[in-house]
Amino acid sequence: MVNLLQNGDVCMEELKEETPMFCINDNEDVLVEILRRLDGRSLGSAACVCKMWCGIARNDALWEHLCFRHVSPPPSGVRPVVMALGGYRRLYMVCVRPVLSRLGRMRVRVGGGESDLVSRVWTRQEVELSLSLFCVDYYERLLGGGGKLGDAPASSLIFLCKTVNV
Amino acid sequence: MGPYDSSVSAGSSSSSGSSSSCSGKPADTIDGLLAGAGYRVRSSELRQVAQRLARLETVMVNAPTEVSHLANDAVHYNPSDLASWVDSLLSELHQPEIAPDPSTFSDLNYIAHTQAGHVLVNPMVSHRELSAGTEIEEDSGIRLVHVLMTCAESVHRGELSLAASLIEELQGLLTSVDGERGIGKVAGYFIDALSRRVFAPQGASLADSAFENAVLYHHFYEACPYLKFAHFTANQAILEAFSGHDCVHVIDFNLMHGLQWPALIQALALRPGGPPLLRLTGIGPPSPDGHDSLREIGLRLAELARSVNVRFAFRGVAASRLDDVKPWMLQVNPKEVVAVNSIMQLHKLLGSDPSRGSPIDPVLGWIRNLNPKIVMVVEQEANHNQPEFLDRFTEALHYYSTMFDSLEAYSAQLEKSLAEIYIQREICNVVCCEGLARVERHEPLVKWRDRLGGAGFTSLHLGSNAFKQASMLLALFSAEGYCVEENEGCLTLGWHSRPLIAASAWQAMPNIHSHE
Repeated sequence: MVNLLQNGDVCMEELKEETPMFCINDNEDVLVEILRRLDGRSLGSAACVCKMWCGIARNDALWEHLCFRHVSPPPSGVRPVVMALGGYRRLYMVCVRPVLSRLGRMRVRVGGGESDLVSRVWTRQEVELSLSLFCVDYYERLLGGGGKLGDAPASSLIFLCKTVNV
Repeated sequence: MGPYDSSVSAGSSSSSGSSSSCSGKPADTIDGLLAGAGYRVRSSELRQVAQRLARLETVMVNAPTEVSHLANDAVHYNPSDLASWVDSLLSELHQPEIAPDPSTFSDLNYIAHTQAGHVLVNPMVSHRELSAGTEIEEDSGIRLVHVLMTCAESVHRGELSLAASLIEELQGLLTSVDGERGIGKVAGYFIDALSRRVFAPQGASLADSAFENAVLYHHFYEACPYLKFAHFTANQAILEAFSGHDCVHVIDFNLMHGLQWPALIQALALRPGGPPLLRLTGIGPPSPDGHDSLREIGLRLAELARSVNVRFAFRGVAASRLDDVKPWMLQVNPKEVVAVNSIMQLHKLLGSDPSRGSPIDPVLGWIRNLNPKIVMVVEQEANHNQPEFLDRFTEALHYYSTMFDSLEAYSAQLEKSLAEIYIQREICNVVCCEGLARVERHEPLVKWRDRLGGAGFTSLHLGSNAFKQASMLLALFSAEGYCVEENEGCLTLGWHSRPLIAASAWQAMPNIHSHE
């Protein structure tokens, strides 16, 4: 019987022989592989587990994968632009997640049968729109901070945070 | 006969019968403690009176305007008969059991009813129908619009003393409608504009500092999608026009905070084949205190362009009016591809000076001489430039009612109020000003088509990409009711099938004849 303990340790109960315990925290590459497959909300929760997981979960490469793993075709040359404008984690939180959930909800209502947002394939235009909105966010923070970048989402994107009135 | 035989029917009906039908209670004993304080209340009614007092307090706290209306009344109630005093006050304050549902009636219905003359306006509100609080609200709203139109008519005919007394009546009527939403709010702004026109024609236009204007514009950008639609649609068309060119120059007729350009810079950064050299010339009003706001915006845009590796150059042109700009100031290089971007600026040139004529024609002339690859024109879809005041007023009432309606869905109160002030300035300009002071001379798309066609431009169709992008942008807004429509290659954004803003793309017609 395999148990996953609270601190990430995996231990086997009722062992007859001595087997070395597998600790996920000692195997960062495995952890990263697991985290790569999570959706945004779970990735956010994972970042709350412990300092080490937080450090790993905040790695922008994971969020890049999350943003665009289902985009068909995958956009090229986007990375330097996104990094310059604030990084993939911010892109996901400020633009991708609200855009996906709003447009996903519209689609479901219109009659596409998909309920799982994560497996939806982005159209190129949705990607472009998210990136443009992300750029507006960056610029507004630039304007608002008098040249220094703040952290709060810029004012004109706050509409993305509100729920849809159906 | 008890105090509950009076006209009150709402709210108290559930408990009004009890005083006559209850048994086993000392129904007629006056409460001794309250009697000592001067109030006569039956012991059996204590609980009901207490409940009603609590309700009265809630109503007075929540609707202070109605209470002040009450304070102006000369009717006195005798508070020592506490029960009937409370009931009379509650009935005065029109407190129905169920809150009225204003969303069932759009403001346009009020206007339509009034104009069609089908509604018999009955200003005497019947206190017997208190449970239909909505009906009172409707009647007041309809009457309000009726008097508003009468007042506009009297202004139109020059009967200013009649207009003045109608304005006073309107201000009184405003207190009986909800001034926070719907017809009450829009009417409030129009009444304010009319009173400025009638009482203070010299100072009629609201003093605008460029800084204030830019702030209000920013909040208007945030609170509703009209400007975002304008920017994104224009950017899409400009991006497509710039495809394949390495040296591009955008001329923005109203830079403000430059909110339109980050998205274009980012799109150019990511375009296949790499970004071009982008020059941006931003036109804006001169800054009063020597501090160069145009240059500051240019610096921020340059910073953004540098972060995403787009070669960028900015130039600011300070001019208080668009017709003060001369083409040499724009320093257009013959090798570059030019895009002209005018978001709600061209209509300001339609006013005519008796000596010089209308500035729109020379301006369109020099735009054409720049030989731009694309001219983006976004304008309000309204007919606010009609020569007759009454026609303008009526059209503006419809247009801005629809716009305020669409704004209601936005919940951040501060931004919404500032956006409303932005709209209010437009309203004041349309209603109060005349001659050269009236700059908000909106004309509908059909008129712009004629005008631009006559000035040597042909229409460029905005493609399906622009349409899809606009639809997606709208889907992201919380209010359902916005609609994007395609109109012979132009896109319009409207609220519930009334278009409010129209975007069109143009290019200079090639000269067919080699000489004039």
